[in-house]
This record gives sequence, C-alpha cells and structure tokens, in this order.
Amino acid sequence: MTSDNTAHDAPVLPGGPTAEDAPLPSDAVEPPPRRWGELVLALATTALGVYVLVAAGSITVPGSSNTLGPRAFPYLVGGMLVAAGVVLVVLILSGRAGQEEGGEDVDPTVRTDWLTVVLLVVILVVHVFAINTVGWPFAAALLFGGAAVVLGARPWWRAALAGLVLGLVIQVVFGGLLGLSLPAGPLLEGVPFLRG
Amino acid sequence: MDNFSALIEGFATVLHPMYLLYALFGVFVGTAVGVLPGIGPAMTIALLLPLTYSLDPTAAIIVFAGIYYGGMYGGSTTSILLNTPGESASIVTAIEGNKMARAGRGAAALATAAIGSFVAGSIATVALTFLAPVVARWAVQLGEPDYFALMVVAFVTVGALLGSSVPRGLASLSLGLFLGLIGTDTLTGQQRFTFGVPNLADGIDVVVVAVGLFAVGEAVYVGSRMRHGPIRIIPVEKGWRTWMKCDDWRRSWKPWLRGAAIGFPVGTIPAGGADVATFLSYATERRLAGSRRKQFGKGAIEGVAGPEAANNAAASGVLVPLLTLGLPTTATAAIIIVAFQSYGIQPGPMLLQNESSLVWALIASLYVGNLMLVVLNLPLVGMWVKVLRIPRHYLYAGILLFGALGSYALNFAPVDVLLLVLIGLIGFFMRRYGYPVAPLVVGMILGPMAEDRLRRSLAISQGDLSYLVTSPFAATAYAAIVVLLAVGIWLKRRERAEEA
Repeated sequence: MTSDNTAHDAPVLPGGPTAEDAPLPSDAVEPPPRRWGELVLALATTALGVYVLVAAGSITVPGSSNTLGPRAFPYLVGGMLVAAGVVLVVLILSGRAGQEEGGEDVDPTVRTDWLTVVLLVVILVVHVFAINTVGWPFAAALLFGGAAVVLGARPWWRAALAGLVLGLVIQVVFGGLLGLSLPAGPLLEGVPFLRG
Repeated sequence: MDNFSALIEGFATVLHPMYLLYALFGVFVGTAVGVLPGIGPAMTIALLLPLTYSLDPTAAIIVFAGIYYGGMYGGSTTSILLNTPGESASIVTAIEGNKMARAGRGAAALATAAIGSFVAGSIATVALTFLAPVVARWAVQLGEPDYFALMVVAFVTVGALLGSSVPRGLASLSLGLFLGLIGTDTLTGQQRFTFGVPNLADGIDVVVVAVGLFAVGEAVYVGSRMRHGPIRIIPVEKGWRTWMKCDDWRRSWKPWLRGAAIGFPVGTIPAGGADVATFLSYATERRLAGSRRKQFGKGAIEGVAGPEAANNAAASGVLVPLLTLGLPTTATAAIIIVAFQSYGIQPGPMLLQNESSLVWALIASLYVGNLMLVVLNLPLVGMWVKVLRIPRHYLYAGILLFGALGSYALNFAPVDVLLLVLIGLIGFFMRRYGYPVAPLVVGMILGPMAEDRLRRSLAISQGDLSYLVTSPFAATAYAAIVVLLAVGIWLKRRERAEEA
C-alpha cells in the first residue's frame, strides 16, 4: 500500500542492503544533501529573526508606557534569532553539521524516508478535518489505522480495526465517563454513553 | 513545627482511599508510558495532560506526582532491558545496566535501580519538605530584578549548556521566546505577532507546542528512520531470589546514598537537572570504585545504583525552584508548570501560603507514590517487558493519536490540532538537524514571565538599567552564570574524555 521499504517486516540483517548504503565508520562526513537541508533551516531561523526585528517596529506603543514598551523584548528576541541563525549558517558552510538525535527506535544507518513523513502529515491533516464531519471516534480510527499502516502494520485491516476499537474506547472513557465533549459524529448521534 | 502539621494534613488528604486510587493510577500509567521506548518523562506528562482535564486540582496534582516519578522508574527499565546498541550510550545507566542484563544479571540491575530510586527519592523528598518552606520564605523578599536575573540564569543553562551545540540551543530558545511573544501584551494590551488572526490574540497554548514537539515531532522523526526487524529485549531471570544478592546490597547502598547527595543539590540549582546529576554520579562512582574500576563499562552494579539514585533525587530537587520560585529548570518541569497553570495555579513564593494544602498534598503524594513504585515495579517486571514488546507501528500511531486528542481537548477546536501538526513538523526538522527541543519549551514558558519582570524592574527604576544588577542577589546570579558557563565547559570536556 505504501513505500516498499516499510512494507517488509523481514529483519534487516547486518551486512544487508542498508548497511552497504551507509559508510561503515560512524564519524564519516555527512552526505551533502543533508547539509543543504540544514542550511535551509539555519537561513529560516535568520529570516524569522529579521522578520521579528522589522515587525517589532510596527507594534503600537501607547503613550502611557514611559520606559520599556512592548517593542523592546521583541527586538531582543529578533536579535538573538538573527545572531544564532548567522552563526549556524557560518558553522554549516564551514562543514560542521549538527548531530542528529538518536533514539531507541531510530536506525542510524538508514536514510530519511520522506514518503513516510509526508504521508504521516497528510493523515494528521485529514484527521483534523474529519473530526467535525464524521465524528471524533472515526477520525481517531483514521489517524491510528492510517499512521500504523504507513509505519508498517500488516495486514491493513487489522490496523484499521484496532484504530476503530481504540477510537470508540477513548470516546466512551473520555467522552462518556470523564466528560470531555468529543463530538461523536452523525453516525453515533444519540447514543447516550458516548456523549461528552 | 508548623510545616510538619501541614505535611501530616497533606498525608491525611492523600491517604483518603479515593486519592490513593488516583495515586496508584498515576504511578501505574506513568510507569507504563515511561517504559515505552522513545518516551521520556517530559513527553509522558505532556501526553497524559488530557487525562487530568476533568479531575479536581488535588486529584490532578496527585496523578501528576505519580506520573512524574513513574515515568522515571519506567525509563530505567527500558534502558536496562532494551537491546539497542549505540544509541542509548547517551544515558549513562544504559551502559552498565544493559551490560549487566546481557551478562544475565538484569534482575539485579532492575532491583538496584528501583530500590536506589526509592531510597534516593525518599531522602530527596524529605529534603524537599524541609527546604521548600525555607526557600519560599526567602523568595518573598526577592525583588523584580532578582527574579529577572534568576530567569536569565535558567535561559543560559537550559539554552546554552545542555545541548551538544550552543548556537542550536540558542536558536531553539529564541524560537521559544518568539512563540511566547505571540498574543496580547499583558502590560499595554497591544497585540503582537498575531498576523491579524483572532485565534492568536490569546497566544499559542503551551500544551500544543509541548505535545507537538515531544510527541508528534518524535513520532514523525522515528517514522522517517524506523528500525525494522524484531525487537530485541534481554530476558530477565524469574524469581525474587535472583534480584539482589548480599554482595549486590553491599556494593549498592553507598552509591545510593551518594547518588541522593549528588542528585538533590544539582536538581535544585538551575544547572540541567537529572542529566547532569546522573553523569556526575557515574563519574564519582567510577572514581571511587578502586579495584572494581575495570568492571565499569562491562556491567558494574555501582554504575547503575548511583546514577539511578541521582536521577530520582534530582527529580525531587527540580521541584524546589519549581514550587517556590515558579522557575522551571528542565523541560519536564516546564510541562508541570503548564499543568499547574491549567488549574489557575501559579507556582511561586506565594504558592506555599495560598495553596498550602495542595502543595503539601503534592509532597505527601511523592512519598506515597515512591513507596507504591518500589512495591509495584519489581513484581510487575514481566508486564513491563510485555509493554516493551509493543509493535512500533502501533506505538507511534498511538502517540500521534493521543497527541492529537490532547490538543483537541484543550478548546475542542480542530484549529489547535492543525497547529499541533505544524509544530510537530518544526520538531521533526529540529531533531533531524540536532536542535534540542527542551530550550524551546522552557523559553516559551519563561519568556513572558521574564519580559514582565524586566519591564516592571525598569518601570520601578524609571529606565535606569543599573537597577538590574545592583541588588546583591542579582549580582550574585549574574556572577553565577559566569561560573556555570565555566563549569559547563569543564564538564563537557570531561564527558568527552570519559566517552573516549
């Protein structure tokens, strides 16, 4: 259903295709594309700082504020953003890249799977718009089932079923018992114990 | 003793059967979520915030205390039993605990971690009981510039000292300060950086930012580079007889006490909280090991007992500046402040007077929760191991779902969830390029408070900037920043030398 590299649950053997792709010594130089993306982030930080500095000038200052008005702190923050951004741009251009974060479930040897990132974001956005149209439990089922399948759950219907059960259980516990007003949606309208 | 009777009253509240159940629920859920890999204590609390929305404040605070300690206990189980080479080396316990488990002594490692956490946590809670009222009494006398100085100290330590890269920490902190600026200025009522969007006039909710960064950002990041294949968990031998032998007790009790002695003070000063404490304890144990030093790196029980004890003691220590000054010194503490604020409670010097019964109920529930955890944790290890085996695709899908639920339940507005996705993407890119996320959360929460203090100070002094540094306390604080920076650089050098 989705990308091939997430589809197989087969264990990745050491010395398999992924290990060959990545250079074995861990302190090897980062591949150039990664540094490029990092540069964009550093430039974005600088740009945000410049924006803050410019926009701070247009904050209305009421006549009554005699000393430090509402503009001063934004100027400070904008300055810090620009300073940090510029230092980072210089650092990255001189070849000192950041140390990406590790984690128990992160495989340091594989490349970033952008398809997964995009699909997860799409599913989250669809979930947002589904809340008010089909009701929270079904939107939740969509989010959980969709994300699980994208992350490699097989078969897909088991993930979907798990999502549906989870959505309904949360609706009953949080909406019915704890009193959070989660919209049950048109399909379940009028079921008393689902009401928030 | 006035405080003593207040504490007894706190116990009376907590020992009420209903609240005991809440405490049990808190430690249970906290441990279960803390055991899950990839979920640290800050994310545990951020994710479980919505659970408490419908509780009364006392119950919510008791649940939180349980989650706070439970998350710590759960985390150590994960690092000892989960076999992920390389990555977990950043946590010192994982080095020794994991090696012990591989040598077939996992139960002993878990036991010394749990009992050490209990011993140190209890000592630190006693210290908190006595220290908090003293600090609060002293804090009442602090002026506006003093508070501003304290916040600058927190910014410097959290932003510059804790990450691996100073400019990245600073960028993260500044981004947090910027997010804190969005909304209506409290002193003049002017809108700032709202882009004309009415929803932004009240500012961005910190919960959305915290959940977005910690939960959504982490889930998307792990999803982008997921470790596939079977989950390798080191089996633990059955039966309580294998937990700790006489020799293990003999080797553990001193590191426990030393860990408590190191952890609590490090936790109370804004110097990085638990991470620094565990590292210091590990280095100390290694130095004091004598003939056993060769075992370090291969599974020395002292290297588990000390850091784990220090970790829990620091967790209690962090509560001192949090409760008495309203100063969060770690990301976890920042989230706890958010939890307090959602009940209209502002931590600070007046908290002990205004909300005395609540604070003492909190402290009493720390004692109770700690006891529950040491009783629960060891016999239930089999269950936690099952939790560790949860398929990763379901785990991260669940994290996304609960993150979305938490931000939706704030105002029941889908817009908040959209904002969550946006912040989550920022969190993804920050992780990918090595920006620490903790300074952002701390900056966002402390930023508005710091601006407030700064402007009030200058209003009092009528614009005279020297007023900011002339009070003895503020001057000391700024001097302390210099010292902290020097110590931080020295520590980082040591850490690097130790790793090499």
